[in-house]
Amino acid sequence: MTRNIIEVSDLSVAYAHNPVIWHINLAVKANSRTAVVGPNGAGKSTLIKSIMNLNKPLSGKVEINGKKPKHALKNIAYVPQKGEVNWDFPTTVLDVVLMGRYVHKGWFKRMNKADVAAAMDALSTMKMEAFKDRQISELSGGQRQRVFLARAICHDADFYIMDEPLQGIDITTEKLIIDTIKALQAKGKSFLVVHHNLDTVEEYFDHVIILNKSVIAQGTIEEAWKKENIDKAYDDRSVTT
Amino acid sequence: MIDVLTSYTFLIVAIGTVILAFACGIVGTVSVIKGQSLIGDAIGHATFPGIIFAFMLVGVMETYTLALGAVIFGIFAFFTIQIITDSSKVTLDSALALILSSFFGLGMALKSYVQGHPGFSGTQGIDDYIFGQAAYMLRTDVYLIIIASVISLLLFMLFYSHIKIYVFDPIFSKSVGVNTGLMNFMILSMTIVLIAVGLKAVGAILIVNLLIAPGVIGLLWSNRFPMVLIIAGFSGAVSAFTGTYVSTVYAGFATGPSIILAMSILVLLSMVFGSKGLLHTHRKRNQGVVS
Ligand SMILES: Nc1ncnc2c1ncn2[C@@H]1O[C@H](COP(=O)(O)OP(=O)(O)OP(=O)(O)O)[C@@H](O)[C@H]1O
Ligand SMILES: [Mg+2]
Repeated sequence: MTRNIIEVSDLSVAYAHNPVIWHINLAVKANSRTAVVGPNGAGKSTLIKSIMNLNKPLSGKVEINGKKPKHALKNIAYVPQKGEVNWDFPTTVLDVVLMGRYVHKGWFKRMNKADVAAAMDALSTMKMEAFKDRQISELSGGQRQRVFLARAICHDADFYIMDEPLQGIDITTEKLIIDTIKALQAKGKSFLVVHHNLDTVEEYFDHVIILNKSVIAQGTIEEAWKKENIDKAYDDRSVTT
Repeated sequence: MIDVLTSYTFLIVAIGTVILAFACGIVGTVSVIKGQSLIGDAIGHATFPGIIFAFMLVGVMETYTLALGAVIFGIFAFFTIQIITDSSKVTLDSALALILSSFFGLGMALKSYVQGHPGFSGTQGIDDYIFGQAAYMLRTDVYLIIIASVISLLLFMLFYSHIKIYVFDPIFSKSVGVNTGLMNFMILSMTIVLIAVGLKAVGAILIVNLLIAPGVIGLLWSNRFPMVLIIAGFSGAVSAFTGTYVSTVYAGFATGPSIILAMSILVLLSMVFGSKGLLHTHRKRNQGVVS
């Protein structure tokens, strides 16, 4: 478990000239469950978006499996933070999950039985088969989150990046998601997950990155998940703007 | 009246409006779902002065030149809206209302000037671009409509999956390699070009209806994107045929209003009877199965 799936070196990102994160150096181990924690506005989503090549950094470099993010997208399944999709869009649960197949099929081929079977598998993993024909706007928040997880599973990537998948969901769904993550890890997958609940970090993850504008600490839970590091990240005085 | 249906001129014109409405219905549905219906309205009105400027420059009502003038003003209006909302505290809906009215006002002023000026001849035709007059459409007008609509539809079909994912989930679409900037640009260009070629048939004031109403109808009947698009395309086409027929048979009926009237009847019926319409939700609620 020593190979790095992501390496970030000296990454700085700004929105309209206001730097948000700076001089980020970090590594995510292959086959790990890595949590990213830090207070609101710490730059967690910004970091994730840079890794996904969704914004333009001021400086620095991201490598995924030794490649530029652009060329590694096929291998990453991304679950966006809640509220970033158009809920009025006319589409069913099954359709959303099928979107995870495009990267494999190429854009101009029709979905076939095998794709639908893969999507149904993913739905059953998330216990959502019964909802397959439901319009997505007619789901509860937790059910929506499960659908996006199912889409990521259907994507069948080696590496999953999730921005707060546990936000606003009940304990049953939370357990289901974490169990799924652990099961996928056993199959060799890797995870980078933005996480808010400090009480469950140890239980749910094996690695952690503590972030507040820059990296406060990183490593295995034993190495990095220490009171002084957490205090440093969440101490109000250290937070600017 | 029936012989109108077999008249060659009528058929040519009807083919034009039907194809135009079909393409507008499909492309416009994207704006409806994105919640950007009024951008099409602002652009539609803003093309009107473009028509007159183009006419003033060349001195004749020539199809391609006028359409080009409309396209240029459509683009100009769009970027003006962007600049206003990006660089000031003016909200999008105010910016749209401002651009819509000021561009159209400019168009009306230019129209009065041109029509009162002895140096210009054949200026009566300008009126056709306000409410649309399909009966006066030339062969070249129809050809231009067909070319623009077919190209738009082909592009839409080619990039169907990209467009679908982009509209639903822009960030995910980017992460799976969709060029979101290109998609946005493509939808916008198709909208502007369809407006520009459709002005003579439907008019600057009402063209937005062709882009919006079909999508609204589609969404009232289905919750699957491909089905919504098909319903939108066909309700546009049916309304266009009906409207063109009515305006050809009854002198004095402009084509734009006739098409829009037919479309509005379909909207109304869908609101009541559609599978997502009033009756249906009402029944569901009474049975207590509303989800
Ligand atoms: N598109 C944007 N334009 C300008 N500023 C932004 C933008 N997105 C984020 N920011 C700013 O960047 C900073 C970091 O935001 P980010 O979303 O990365 O935080 P986060 O750690 O994910 O917070 P949360 O826990 O609330 O999700 C914040 O101060 C935010 O206001
Ligand atoms: Mg965030």
